[in-house]
Amino acid sequence: MAQDKPRIILRTEGLANPRALKTYIEHAEGYTAIKKVLGGAVTREQLIEEVKASGLRGRGGAGFPTGLKWTFVPQSDTGPKYLICNNDESEPGTFKDRHICTVNPHQVIEGMVLAAFAIKANKGYIYTRWEFQEEIGYLVEAIKEAYAAGFLGKNILGSGFDFDLDHYSGAGAYICGEETGLISSLEGKKGQPKVKPPFPAVSGYLGRPTIVNNTETLANVPWIVNHGAKEFRQYGTEKSPGSKLFSISGALVRPGVYEVPLGYPFERLVQEECGGYLPGRSLQALIPGGASAPLLTPEEVKGLTLDYEAMASRGTMLGSGAIMIIDDRQVLAELLKVTIEFFAHESCGQCTPCREGTGWLNNIMDGVLGGTAKPDSVERMRTVAKHMGGKTICALSDACAMPVTSYVQKFSGQLQAYLAQAAAAGSHVK
Amino acid sequence: MSVFGDGLKAEIEGFLKRYETRRSAILPVLHAIQDVHGWIKPEHIEELHTVYGLDRVHVKEVITFYDIYKDKPVRKFQIRYCKNITCHMLGARPAIARIREHIAALDAAHGEDGAFSLEEFPCLGKCDGAPVMLVNKERVEHATVDKIDQLLTKYAPTVLR
Ligand SMILES: Cc1cc2nc3c(=O)[nH]c(=O)nc-3n(C[C@H](O)[C@H](O)[C@H](O)COP(=O)(O)O)c2cc1C
Ligand code: SF4
Ligand code: FES
Repeated sequence: MAQDKPRIILRTEGLANPRALKTYIEHAEGYTAIKKVLGGAVTREQLIEEVKASGLRGRGGAGFPTGLKWTFVPQSDTGPKYLICNNDESEPGTFKDRHICTVNPHQVIEGMVLAAFAIKANKGYIYTRWEFQEEIGYLVEAIKEAYAAGFLGKNILGSGFDFDLDHYSGAGAYICGEETGLISSLEGKKGQPKVKPPFPAVSGYLGRPTIVNNTETLANVPWIVNHGAKEFRQYGTEKSPGSKLFSISGALVRPGVYEVPLGYPFERLVQEECGGYLPGRSLQALIPGGASAPLLTPEEVKGLTLDYEAMASRGTMLGSGAIMIIDDRQVLAELLKVTIEFFAHESCGQCTPCREGTGWLNNIMDGVLGGTAKPDSVERMRTVAKHMGGKTICALSDACAMPVTSYVQKFSGQLQAYLAQAAAAGSHVK
Repeated sequence: MSVFGDGLKAEIEGFLKRYETRRSAILPVLHAIQDVHGWIKPEHIEELHTVYGLDRVHVKEVITFYDIYKDKPVRKFQIRYCKNITCHMLGARPAIARIREHIAALDAAHGEDGAFSLEEFPCLGKCDGAPVMLVNKERVEHATVDKIDQLLTKYAPTVLR
């Protein structure tokens, strides 16, 4: 029987000096996976096969199979290739990658050496949002330690494989979490996403083949190498194997980051890990996967498990694993406004449906909250959101449209109440 | 004479050699300048262009695009307060209002050159400590109205002599 709550990622959490190289080596099989692979016991092809077999899916939000993504790098191309760790973590509600940097940064670095070996990249970057100043310090320190120990740099462990790793700081832009926006930023440009195809695996950083993986995704790889795909699949579900970090916040006794197997019951996470809701509060609505995810009603939350399939079957998504509890004291119209305002501010402006759509929604919500909205405002929001989906360079436009549609569908009562109030007061625009 | 000073000059030159292209150095170079000078001055952009070959148009568009870069003088303590979903639910709005009151009072008493500025920010990635703010590079968790009162009263005299 697999353990109830595996420790695949947060292996050094709770130990003294959890971030230190020594701790990683002594308590978390640190750097044994690269010894195995670079020592020749596992070939490049076997490594990719093992990651594919594990069923590991990208933890950055889209859930794309990691091993498969690595095969998209054209190996006939003998020029430079790059590996980027997406540590931008800007999806509202998400703070798991920050936690990995705080408790176990070396596992990310080891995962990067393995991924780089798999795709034949000799240079990598960790791209972190500027706001994580403390954590950037931890990463820079860990990189320094790994170089000093010979786990990074030229001819790692005498294998002939070179991998240089550097850190790069963002400068406050959500859109740099989108992989092509991130690449633009790393090139020293505005963080504007690029049209795909070509995908970064073929033409990424400086036009060269580039794999962008999320921090948590990369941190899974050393464990998979050490324990094998089969053992990884003992955790989680058939379609969502392994463990997942959930960042859970809101009116809870112990909000935080928890590692649990995929498929874990939501209610159990709230009760056991988080110590339940704050006294006197109850669930009004749930944001299950970051600000981009459609909301769930308490009815839909009944029996909810935390995996990609269960979320999809309820019309929402697991996303980055960012769970936000909306308790009964909250005014949903205000939260909708906060959400829309966020996307309107972060839209990079390249695509008309996104730039204009987020702006219109923002204006409508100002009217709703200010008591000056037209009576058909809720209907207009639905229409605007409908025209924002699926027509843009990146998914930010959809990321705004999806939650808006869910608010309007499932919680229009509250919005209508605002409108009715305004109508009664005679302040609305006719 | 360089507008940067020796330490910063060396740092900038280091960044220009560090990446695959000089252009990739723009973000790190701007961070380094801001760390020393607080904001990016027109003469910084000019020297980056003329001495270091970083196109002034490229530099300016980066400054405009990213929220962290400032091309106007900044105050000693820059507060960036998260107004996103979880922080909103756990008290960001009254705290932000209180910061505005403090700033208005300090500015009234000490003139234009007050010590604090306030910017409302998207999620700061520490929602389990909500509501959260950054004071310059430091994160302050559970930044509720009480804590704001304590902090701003504590910081204010040290900078408003
Ligand atoms: C608007 C937007 C923001 C994103 N932000 C992030 C982010 O902060 N971190 C992240 O890892 N992925 C983010 N992604 C997803 C990335 O584009 C990309 O899919 C991911 O980094 C791939 O890594 P993975 O396959 O390991 O998940 C974002 C996507 C979009 C459309
Ligand atoms: S969808 Fe929005 S954020 Fe994405 S590229 Fe278009 S305008 Fe920019
Ligand atoms: S919502 Fe404020 S830190 Fe995330």
